[in-house]
Amino acid sequence: MSLSSKEKRKAAMRAGRPRFSAIRLMYTREMRDQLRDRRTLFTIAVLPMLLYPLVGMLLLQIAQFTRQHTISVCVIGVEHVTDDAEHAETNTFVSPLLVTVEDEEEASPSRLQPLGVSESTPVRFSKTLWDSDSNIDVYAYSAAELSRSGDLEERAQDWVRDQVFDCVVCVRQPLGVNGPVIMQDNQETDAAGASVGLYYNVASDQSMIAKDRMVSILNRWRGSWVRTRLSDAGVELSVLDPFKINDCDIAPERTREAAFWSKLLPFIMLVWAMTGAFYPAIDLVAGEKERGTLETLLCSPALRSEIVWGKLGAVMTFSMMTALLNASSMLVTSSFVFNQIGVGPAGSSMGAPPLIPMLWLLVALIPLSALFSALALAVAAMARSSKEGQYYLMPLMMVTLPLVLLPMLPGTTLNLGTSLIPVTGMFLLVRSLVEGQHMEALTYLPMVAVVTSVCLSLATRWAKRQFESESVLFGDGDQWELGAWMRHLWRDRQRAATPTIAFGCGAVILVALFFGKLAVTEMPDTFGGIAKLIFLPQFGLILAPTLLMATMMTTSLRTSLRLNTVNWRIWSLVAVLAVMLHPLYMQLAGLIGQMYPLSPQALEAMRPFGEHISSAPWLSVILLMAVVPAICEELAFRGFIFGGLVRNNSPVRAVLVTAFMFGISHGVLQQSISATFMGILLGWVALRTGSVLPGILIHFGNNALSVSLGRIAELQLPGMQNLISVDAVSQAPQYHPIWTGCALFVSVACLIGMYRITADMDVMENNDVLADRIISDQPVRDPSLKQYAS
Amino acid sequence: MHSHQSAASLVLPAHMIQVQHLTKTYEDLRRGRFRAVDQVSFTVRPGEIFGLLGANGAGKTTVLRILSTVLRPTSGIATIDGYDVAHEPAEVRRRIGFVSNNTAIYDRMTAWEMVEYFGQLHGMTNDSLYQRLEKLFDQLRMNEFRDVPGGKMSTGMRQKVSIARALVHDPPVLIFDEATLGLDVLVARNLLAVIRELREAGKCLIFSTHIMSEVERLCDRIAIMHKGRILDSGTLDELTGRHQETDFEELFFSLLSSHEDATHTIDAKEMEVAR
Repeated sequence: MSLSSKEKRKAAMRAGRPRFSAIRLMYTREMRDQLRDRRTLFTIAVLPMLLYPLVGMLLLQIAQFTRQHTISVCVIGVEHVTDDAEHAETNTFVSPLLVTVEDEEEASPSRLQPLGVSESTPVRFSKTLWDSDSNIDVYAYSAAELSRSGDLEERAQDWVRDQVFDCVVCVRQPLGVNGPVIMQDNQETDAAGASVGLYYNVASDQSMIAKDRMVSILNRWRGSWVRTRLSDAGVELSVLDPFKINDCDIAPERTREAAFWSKLLPFIMLVWAMTGAFYPAIDLVAGEKERGTLETLLCSPALRSEIVWGKLGAVMTFSMMTALLNASSMLVTSSFVFNQIGVGPAGSSMGAPPLIPMLWLLVALIPLSALFSALALAVAAMARSSKEGQYYLMPLMMVTLPLVLLPMLPGTTLNLGTSLIPVTGMFLLVRSLVEGQHMEALTYLPMVAVVTSVCLSLATRWAKRQFESESVLFGDGDQWELGAWMRHLWRDRQRAATPTIAFGCGAVILVALFFGKLAVTEMPDTFGGIAKLIFLPQFGLILAPTLLMATMMTTSLRTSLRLNTVNWRIWSLVAVLAVMLHPLYMQLAGLIGQMYPLSPQALEAMRPFGEHISSAPWLSVILLMAVVPAICEELAFRGFIFGGLVRNNSPVRAVLVTAFMFGISHGVLQQSISATFMGILLGWVALRTGSVLPGILIHFGNNALSVSLGRIAELQLPGMQNLISVDAVSQAPQYHPIWTGCALFVSVACLIGMYRITADMDVMENNDVLADRIISDQPVRDPSLKQYAS
Repeated sequence: MHSHQSAASLVLPAHMIQVQHLTKTYEDLRRGRFRAVDQVSFTVRPGEIFGLLGANGAGKTTVLRILSTVLRPTSGIATIDGYDVAHEPAEVRRRIGFVSNNTAIYDRMTAWEMVEYFGQLHGMTNDSLYQRLEKLFDQLRMNEFRDVPGGKMSTGMRQKVSIARALVHDPPVLIFDEATLGLDVLVARNLLAVIRELREAGKCLIFSTHIMSEVERLCDRIAIMHKGRILDSGTLDELTGRHQETDFEELFFSLLSSHEDATHTIDAKEMEVAR
């Protein structure tokens, strides 16, 4: 080894970069391995090929059954509905419902006759009402005759219940001049006398089919009756139809064809892309752990990143293959089935979907499959065995499914707001592409692309982290036990929170805030009430759990709350930031308000709140709205929780997770979004400075300016109108755009300055390495570390 | 840090493996923060078999996992051929072959594919790879199950594939962690023969086991591990001389029990002080 240390370092750098050849090698191996597995092949390829045709055949069978199945109908009161000379004076209809069949051939085949009843009259429905008489067997009895041997209604019900007939039509007495009123079941009717009872059983499919057919026959009969009656009375039939509606769909034919498919197909694809990613992911990580091959791989020259990329590629391939096979199988089957049945939603041309626009789906499938695959890989890495991996599928689905379902909701369209939601945005973008609205798609493409790539990079990063974590890869098979865990928490307290405790603290705060919010039923109408409404959650639900956990579960309040001193150069930058960030925050809040506007009701509900705030004494408002939230929220989020999450060298996790928790804690969506962005910035400051204190000052400055901007504007200091103006319409104070621009410039300069100052110091060490070292008190005893230091 | 390493490799070029004050702590639910490996130091030269002897849970596997870069040490340094296991893992992995009862082989790959795959991962060129494969398969007498998938192999076959997998890139350092565990006598004997051959070829070997006879017959130098610590180390003669005990098994147990007594007396003293 004659390499100089510099060359060695270079070699190490080269060695740290994933090699494409190794990734390809890994990928081909995983693919071959999976393709040799019968279970995978079955779920990925065979199942979709079989599933949809089977379901399709089933649907066809049902359709045929509905159309062609012969039903048996009994008509009681044949004397009132036939063209019988005997009853000619009471029957006032023009055409009869039933016609007596002279020809024996034409009569319904005789089948079992109900007991105690003489043979029915051979009849069939009049040709004008039901032409395909082959699939209805009619049995007709005289009402007068039957009623002699018992109650008609009871008998009708018995016959339907005992499945003697699928449906019974009961006409008790001659129908009057008004024609029949169809009476289903035995509901009361006020059309005295003229009623037709229809008995059926909703629990029996056959009975329901029979009922549907009878209703349509009876309606047709009644219609013909009404028409004749009206023309007899000298009324023009056109009166009934004063105008016609000519509907005209202006959507291009392509859109019309695509409308149905552009909603359904992406959904099917995404759900399958998710499922298709998960099972291979479990096998490739948890399965390998279980079989012991993961350790073989880990001590091979393959880098962790190469392993992750190779596996990710394989999982992604399977995810896409599953999605494509399922979608195409469904497409082929359903277009065939729909053609056969001849139905489609809203009568649109359902046939084959337009294939060329559907290619856009493929383009969208690639990033989304990658996203799902990376998530699945990261989640599957937590499992120790395939079986355990299966349990993680549900939570992952529960998190991602709403994002897939959201675009399916009626009225969800592609706009600035929806384009920023991960997965949903991509889904809607594809839909507009499929429907041919290229301009709209192009407008939102940058947003969707940025959001998707950010999500993708986070997910892959997480997956990579999982593969670098010893506790994830070699987590011992220790049985978790509540008692042992509680003892462990107490006995092994450390100076700062562990990530688990940090997550726990965040969860406690968010859940407590949620229920706290539910407990507040109405807005208080005094300043004191408002003060209570802010103080209680801030102290009771945010600060108290934090302090409690910090005292109980850690040994040093100062370390766990990150109450570290900060040098004066940083303090000065932080002070400038505290003032200068506010215009940017206002700008951001304004933008968010435009994107996701607050409802007028919500604005109305907030109005008294604002009025009280603006009329209360300034100092108490500052205390209430700036000092208290700044201290409580910062100690919780950028202090205790941050301190736990930043450990194990995870700065990104700490910044992002605390920002999200901070955002969610604000409750109102619009506030949550701006607070999340603010949280990212505060998290970055906390990370760079290694302390919670700068965050408190910035948070305080921002809140204080928010509540006193109106007052400052009212002071009308000389020159102030150049900085702050009052909006003429909403009476809300706002910054002058030039001032906002300046603030942006100054803020960025401050942040860069802070970055450069902290780069020279070892506060970054402070975040993680030192915390861990202090806890394990290793460096004191370990002589080798001295060598490191020198 | 780099300067330290290059200095170390200059001073002691003969030491292929250097381990200094290696410590690994775990968070454990029952035992709390516990040291699986506690201040372990040793060195191994090329052409030498170094034996790690200890009961189950003594920390042997953890030491060897750290050496094979699968785990990171909590503190302390371990270098292989001058490369730090914590900071240059890729370089280290290029120089070691690791066989453990935890490093299984793929069920859905044949013996040939398995060894070929790891050779390719090492970036070997096709020519040298296939030459090496043929040689290894001959040497280890694996030709009859070349095309048998891992899932259908016997334990002995699997072990051979694992060894071939570890040897494919002809590494200077070989690490065997409880490699004879679960093997029948014949297969275990063959494995030990292979290991001796590797020593003759000038390789640097670490061999961990809990079977004393293996250590006695095979190892040039021995370290006895107990509860994460090395109680004593040296050649068999050194150890027997130092402890005046000719029977190795007796030596092992007397070492363990005297260590237990010592820790107990310390515990007792601490208790008294606490009172």
